[in-house]
Amino acid sequence: MTTFDPARMRRTVLEMAYAGSTVHIACAFSIIELLTVLYRNHLRYPGNDPRAEGRDYLVLSKGHGVMAQYACMHELGWLKDSHIQSYFKDGSDLKGLSDSRVPGLEVTSGSLGHGFSVGVGIALGLKRKGTDQKVYAIVGDGELNEGPIWEGALVAAHHRLNNLMLIVDKNGFQAMGTTDDVLALGDLQAKFSSFGFETLEIDGHDETAIDAAIRQLWATGPNKPKALIARTVKGKGVSFMESINLWHYTRLNPQSFAEAVSELGCTGASK
Amino acid sequence: MYWSFEMREAFSNALVRLALADSKVLLLTGDHGYSLFDEFRKSCPEQYINAGIAEQNMVGMAAGLARVGFRPFVYGLAAFIPIRTVEQIKLDIAHDELPVVLLGDGAGFVYSHLGTSHQSTEDIACTRAIPHLQVLSPADRFEMTAAMDYAYGTIGPVYLRMGKADLGDVHNSPIDSLQQGRLMKVRDGRSDRPGLIATGSMVRAAVDVAKSLDLMVWSAPMLKPLDVDDVCAAAQATYGLVTLEEHSVLGGLGAAVTEITSEHQPTRVLRIGVPDRFSEHCGTHAYLLREHGLGIDCVRNRIGVFCQLLASNSIA
Repeated sequence: MTTFDPARMRRTVLEMAYAGSTVHIACAFSIIELLTVLYRNHLRYPGNDPRAEGRDYLVLSKGHGVMAQYACMHELGWLKDSHIQSYFKDGSDLKGLSDSRVPGLEVTSGSLGHGFSVGVGIALGLKRKGTDQKVYAIVGDGELNEGPIWEGALVAAHHRLNNLMLIVDKNGFQAMGTTDDVLALGDLQAKFSSFGFETLEIDGHDETAIDAAIRQLWATGPNKPKALIARTVKGKGVSFMESINLWHYTRLNPQSFAEAVSELGCTGASK
Repeated sequence: MYWSFEMREAFSNALVRLALADSKVLLLTGDHGYSLFDEFRKSCPEQYINAGIAEQNMVGMAAGLARVGFRPFVYGLAAFIPIRTVEQIKLDIAHDELPVVLLGDGAGFVYSHLGTSHQSTEDIACTRAIPHLQVLSPADRFEMTAAMDYAYGTIGPVYLRMGKADLGDVHNSPIDSLQQGRLMKVRDGRSDRPGLIATGSMVRAAVDVAKSLDLMVWSAPMLKPLDVDDVCAAAQATYGLVTLEEHSVLGGLGAAVTEITSEHQPTRVLRIGVPDRFSEHCGTHAYLLREHGLGIDCVRNRIGVFCQLLASNSIA
């Protein structure tokens, strides 16, 4: 029975990042609860098959957070302990950004502003086929700097893609600083509402609120695409990483790894 | 799009025929092709999507549609499809070998009066370097029809370059089918002189020039892959080679041919194409070809000089 315990998933991320001596920990931590709720309560994978034809689609447009998705795939049994422990080893399959060749990942992203457009196309295709499958696309707030996001938003509303939910990981940071300092985004909920989306803004670490918002968005605005603005904390879950943008780039050393693991207070990620 | 009636008809008929036969075929356009798609919109309105003036999203969206079983044909001017969207083509489509056909219209100097923004002489170079992406470049309406069928029959990404390929038929009759990477001989000639390999709009010019010098001519309707044996055979059958294309001399047909000859069949090759420069002035298509040294007289002179060089030096 998979439980998608956020603390354990953060520990999986830490173990991967430590094993691979890699970066992008903080932007994975900000979407842990969002993914927890999506995988636990909403995404449908017939036969627990990541490539099942009738599946819902989770498009990680902000490919930098991919370790959080790996942690979910580990919970589902799609990834083994050895995948976690051998992260970034020569010849391994799991890359540092989302790669669609990995079953469970739907797009090749990390170059930003790609995944959402692909998600729009998937949603349009599913709608044409008349299925009830749903598409969730997670974008970073920094990623909203990219033009194609807004092209896709126009198209999604124009084609009334009510099977598409855009989820904004609004952690307030991008690579070089805060989103306010780099390129201010203004009122995102108002922006997406004006584009014709049904929108809600919630605390992106409150699992109950996330779940309720997703249900409410699907239940309202019958002909509209959905936008869920999730206020999150970059680096959430480990005190010395929270809202410290350095952890977009910093690698773990034995001491910081031990401190982070100890803060999470859960036993081994590996099952 | 400034095509002749026959060329428009060849393209439109093929597209309509494929869409009527397969409801998964979708036409996506970035708000281009005003009257070109009249018949398509009449015959298969449900399969027509004007994605707006938003090419990057359109190409990503085509990838999403292909992921769930559709067969998108994505239409734009070559300056935008592929050039504006090279990264979407690389990442969203080619990386996963998705069956998307990219239709780049007006390639080369078709939009001769509009200037550099609507001209495209770097698209072959850019697309050839993208893995899994096949590159087609038809020379007349017969090659166009065959290229559309080939593109549909290919379960993978294809870039179909549509240039000023309506300067007159190159082939005498319809082509059964394109063979992957194969050259098509369109004129026989002398074996002791250079052979011409041309693509797209320049095949017609090659045939015209070849008459006075009695040269062999091959059309290259497919630039990637390009058949190694065919290129070597052309080099062996003649004395030196000349490539002709309405595209930069860097990275296009000339590059593809010399990549093969330098490795497999060392041959002196004259690459005739657009020098490494943008258009300076505007004018008719014929004028712009002259500006870039691709006018028929200039081409004839350069080939004549090349013939003399080969004859005097024995360096082919």
